[in-house]
Amino acid sequence: MQFDAIVVGSGITGGWAAKELTQAGLKVLMIERGREIVHGEYETELKAPWEMPFRGVGDAALYAREYQVQSQNRHFNEYTQGHFVNDKDNPYTTAPGSEFNWLRSYQLGGRSLTWGRQTYRWSDYDFGANKRDGNGTDWPIRYADLAPWYDKVEEFIGVSGAAEGLPQLPDGKFQPPMALNVVEQHVRKEIAGKFGRCMTIGRTANMTVAKPEEGRAECQNRSICARGCSFGAYFSTQSSTLPAAKATGNLTVVTDAVVEKLDYDPKTNRVTGVRYINTKDGSRGAATARLVFLNASAFNSVHLMLNSRNDAMPRGLANSSGVLGTQIMDHPSTLSTIALFPQFNDRTTFGNRPTGVVVARYRNMDAMDGVGHSRGYSFQGGALQSNWGAGKREAGIGTALKDKLHSPGMWRMVLVAFADCVPRDSNRLTLDAAKTDRFGIPQLQIQFAFGKEEQAALAQAKADAAEMLTSAGGTVIMGMDQPGTGGMAIHEMGGARMGHDPKTSVLNKWSQAHDVPNLFVTDGAQMASSACQNPSLTYMALTARACDAAVKMLREGKI
Amino acid sequence: MVQPVWGEWWPMQDGQPTGWKRRDFMGAAALVALALGLPTAAVAFTELDEKDAPTSHQRTLMKEVSQLVIPRSATPGAGEVGAGDFAILVLAHGLENSRKPVKDTAAYARFLRNDGSVRHVAWLERELDLRAGGDFLGADATRRAALLGALDAEAFASRASESPWKAIKALIVTGYYTSEPGGSEELRYEPVPGRFDPDLPLKPGDRAISNDWTAVDFG
Ligand SMILES: Cc1cc2nc3c(=O)[nH]c(=O)nc-3n(C[C@H](O)[C@H](O)[C@H](O)COP(=O)(O)OP(=O)(O)OC[C@H]3O[C@@H](n4cnc5c(N)ncnc54)[C@H](O)[C@@H]3O)c2cc1C
Repeated sequence: MQFDAIVVGSGITGGWAAKELTQAGLKVLMIERGREIVHGEYETELKAPWEMPFRGVGDAALYAREYQVQSQNRHFNEYTQGHFVNDKDNPYTTAPGSEFNWLRSYQLGGRSLTWGRQTYRWSDYDFGANKRDGNGTDWPIRYADLAPWYDKVEEFIGVSGAAEGLPQLPDGKFQPPMALNVVEQHVRKEIAGKFGRCMTIGRTANMTVAKPEEGRAECQNRSICARGCSFGAYFSTQSSTLPAAKATGNLTVVTDAVVEKLDYDPKTNRVTGVRYINTKDGSRGAATARLVFLNASAFNSVHLMLNSRNDAMPRGLANSSGVLGTQIMDHPSTLSTIALFPQFNDRTTFGNRPTGVVVARYRNMDAMDGVGHSRGYSFQGGALQSNWGAGKREAGIGTALKDKLHSPGMWRMVLVAFADCVPRDSNRLTLDAAKTDRFGIPQLQIQFAFGKEEQAALAQAKADAAEMLTSAGGTVIMGMDQPGTGGMAIHEMGGARMGHDPKTSVLNKWSQAHDVPNLFVTDGAQMASSACQNPSLTYMALTARACDAAVKMLREGKI
Repeated sequence: MVQPVWGEWWPMQDGQPTGWKRRDFMGAAALVALALGLPTAAVAFTELDEKDAPTSHQRTLMKEVSQLVIPRSATPGAGEVGAGDFAILVLAHGLENSRKPVKDTAAYARFLRNDGSVRHVAWLERELDLRAGGDFLGADATRRAALLGALDAEAFASRASESPWKAIKALIVTGYYTSEPGGSEELRYEPVPGRFDPDLPLKPGDRAISNDWTAVDFG
């Protein structure tokens, strides 16, 4: 099979690469290790709990045996388990003393089907962070380089949100925002008045305005997105980029094919294509192309580069710097506070809004006011009214209990902190020296720990969160300041960072390997710092930008 | 145990149980289902260890206890809708950390499995009989409610208590509100709201929505 370009992976970034490259006229192979999932044929989407064998909560025994890692995340349940990997079949190892929960979706669409859809731009506080505090290496780009690509991505995927004019959380091309509920409206006002901080509705890739020309309806406020949405109301590969790429007639999709390694020709200094294994029958295949885009998700792309070591590049593909695999990151995150707001108990809402709120970063911007850390944190969360779930945790039986659970209960507000993760050499990916998977491919080994900066940020976040909600009239009932296990923010990134210098970075400012000009890595692997915003919008914008650059280079005969 | 919020995840304070013995889930499955004469479409006691297969007395007890937790009003009670069987099944499967080893092994010695977890239903059966000073199911309705009410109050009096009742009750409640009568008659089931109203008056007696999943997980 010969193509102009091969895109490895069909998730959030692979879908974008396939769309951009096919629309530019290239013949593209998108190759995906997981099974095909057809838009509109989401098996559990419309099922009521009583139509599910385990009422939607799932078979805990099965999860303990085969989904020990995936079942740790709250989007995983009986409805969505088919959209996450089976851990038993997809092993990885952790270095001694390390813990890391690697949450994955191996299927057509990748984690675009399961993601939380929170969509935030990064700012120059983020792209300038490494330069300012000396951790990691400087980004070779700034906000202005990415702004037009953010515009393009947001307009296409459909992002609802409110413009706030904040330099640290730049506004985008938004569809009308979803509404803050009654408690959030109150808290927004109090926080703005007393602290000058901004709490705004989550900017989310759930549409409030339909795109009939793309067959996508507006959000129905079900908030069951990760089952798959046949309304096409949230951005996924299936609802958005895949149909666009297919419409060009230039796309070939191959599923159930795990790419094992890339082929490299030392004579031309080019990658020539990929080798893959059919996951159903174990047969092997190969495809060639003039360009290869790695979009297998941050850790899988690094894994592929490490596993593509060859005589000319014994430390891994495009790894003359030796930094491939290092400085991986994930946001330290914790439930900073829960506060009760009984004064609103005579108000309620209707509909399951599929987003919460965000409190934009305010620390370490123009004044360095972080205690023990030099970067930012931000809160996501929201106000909600308890319902029957509360009956599981409280005393009481009989008619009194039934009557109580009959009506919506106490209002509470929740703030979850996400903080910057410092890029460190000691947090890294390697190939496990001994263990292989069922295809005989060396397993990925993850070495990871949060440090004192992350602990300090979450400690300050906890105190801040309690202070804000208390001053807004809430009664704080609990809060935490310790990060969860690495990986639990599901924002794992880094390992093939972008940088100015080929000696200290893997990719240049076009997401192109310094060492191998026709190799592009446009997923989270390229990140040189983590910011505290959810990263996928930035991956998408970088992917679209890299595709544009690659096509130009190809046309100009440079690659 | 708290979990959720929208959009993003967050760390569970308590992971799923580890240390399962594969043996615990092998065999006996079909046998058990058969012995109980269960329609396969209903609760499937599949893959249960023989020792976790409920006796008919235990099923009757769990049905009665469920009905005490959520009695009949204008809508059915939890026992009537099968919440007892649901709880038996998922307790053995490990929901609500029911397959996690207990700390106070001495207190639960006679109900321990090899993996250190408690056989909740067997514990409850004996505990209620002890409290009744005889056959709990033989006591009159008022007394049964009083005995169970006392057990419930004790279990929830302290956060630290590892009373097996906490998980049993949680799963009875889950079983009820995820059943069709509980979820769509007692409460409102709104699969396709189609809109979001951010601020409405709430009047006493207004029905809550059973499929507000964020609230279920977090409320
Ligand atoms: C529950 C959850 C909530 C999240 N919430 C948010 C959020 O609110 N906001 C946000 O910004 N991000 C969120 N994320 C993270 C987001 O999903 C990822 O950042 C994003 O999907 C990464 O895109 P990607 O294309 O790099 O990888 P993925 O979307 O993971 O896709 C990678 C694809 O590559 C395939 N693949 C991997 N290896 C190979 C191989 N060797 N050969 C062939 N194919 C391969 C995989 O099967 C997969 O389909 C969330 C994730 C989860 C799971």
